[in-house]
Amino acid sequence: MLLPKFDYHQPRDLPAACGLLAELGPEARVIAGGTDLLVNLKHGRIRPKALVGLERLEELTGLDSGRGRLFIGARTSAAHLAASRSLGGGLRLLAQAAGQLGSPQVRNRATIGGNLCTARPAAELPPPLLCLDARALLAGPQGQREVALSAFFKGPGLTVLGPDEIMRGVVIPRPGLGGGGAYLKLGLRRAMEISLVNVAAFLQLAPDGRTIAQARVALGAVAPTPILSPRAAQALIGQRAGDKLFAAAAEAAARDARPIDDHRGSAAYRRDMVRVLARRALEQAWDQARGRRGGKS
Amino acid sequence: MSSHRIRLTVNGVAREILAPANRTLAQLLREDLGLTGTKQGCGEGDCGSCTVLLDGEPVNSCLVLAVQAHGHEVLTIEGLAQGRELHPIQQAFVELGGIQCGFCTPGMILSAKALLDKTKRPSQEQIRRALSGNLCRCTGYQKIVEAVSEAGRRLSRGRR
Repeated sequence: MLLPKFDYHQPRDLPAACGLLAELGPEARVIAGGTDLLVNLKHGRIRPKALVGLERLEELTGLDSGRGRLFIGARTSAAHLAASRSLGGGLRLLAQAAGQLGSPQVRNRATIGGNLCTARPAAELPPPLLCLDARALLAGPQGQREVALSAFFKGPGLTVLGPDEIMRGVVIPRPGLGGGGAYLKLGLRRAMEISLVNVAAFLQLAPDGRTIAQARVALGAVAPTPILSPRAAQALIGQRAGDKLFAAAAEAAARDARPIDDHRGSAAYRRDMVRVLARRALEQAWDQARGRRGGKS
Repeated sequence: MSSHRIRLTVNGVAREILAPANRTLAQLLREDLGLTGTKQGCGEGDCGSCTVLLDGEPVNSCLVLAVQAHGHEVLTIEGLAQGRELHPIQQAFVELGGIQCGFCTPGMILSAKALLDKTKRPSQEQIRRALSGNLCRCTGYQKIVEAVSEAGRRLSRGRR
């Protein structure tokens, strides 16, 4: 399959890139890893006159810890996240999700920024990032703004990102001791698969090691955007961790799911699988939060 | 459409090519450099037949723009053999029946090389995971996995 014609720009820094986007207008698209954009170009789903490549923007690279926060540059690849030593402990669920994205070849190119900005409802990285209370850093001609990831997605393929804005990265508050999480994906096969349902769960235990101080459950592929489940969080926070509680919270998560019927699965099946995956994810999150090794998926 | 002067290293040789913006790395390798060992299958990153190593890591060259490979190092299947002597992974594929029609083979071998460069004696599970982005429509997966496993044994013994 051949690519249509376009001009290619390689701005040297973020201000230049945003300026270029402002100048080129809606005819331009940003490209990082290209695993999504180039496929759409080949299929003729989009016909931009120009692509703005991010490969020279150093501001978008690297993982950087400081003041209890972790910055992840938008150009960081899924493969890098999957193997990163910075993503241990309570951040492990992000590495787990990154390691299940696409194939090894795709993971080496696909970026965290691309995975968020394409805003696919079934994407791997939004659920763990929602669970970790991530904020998106968006750079524009007027400077940088920070948006909670839970307010970033607007619909399938739609975000709050302005036409002249570029995602610089995400920041995550680093969980303390007693934080644990898990990511589980259900697909029909184990590689190059779009999730039927994916679920991430995060628990922060109180110092007593049993009371749940903070909890988040995020769901993918069961709503127009990846979503947090308010009912699950409400069921969990302040309670004593345990299997019965997790089963009840998983039921609550299933009630927050708004799945559709499609060729990959029915709405009823998806809702039921939310319940199953949420319970397992919570059990694994708890194991990790208590310092036990996570169980099998 | 813009065109770009692309400098990259292919199989250890520095190359400079003037290419239009919409040229993929797969096209640059096959059409500009005549390295047709890299196969083009689905063209959208599903089949892995166009796999090459970009700075040592497997990528689908059909989903990399040539201009994005500027300044980087590419290894294709043509870069593995030393003269007439096959690379141990190639030799193991031949001996253990890891090749049927051969279309997926260059990609399989490069994915296997990326694995064995990092993990000398991978488990079956590690091999299957490393090859999970490479489809074999002859469905010869078992022989391929065995060939990679054997290549790992030979390489870790330092035999060629």
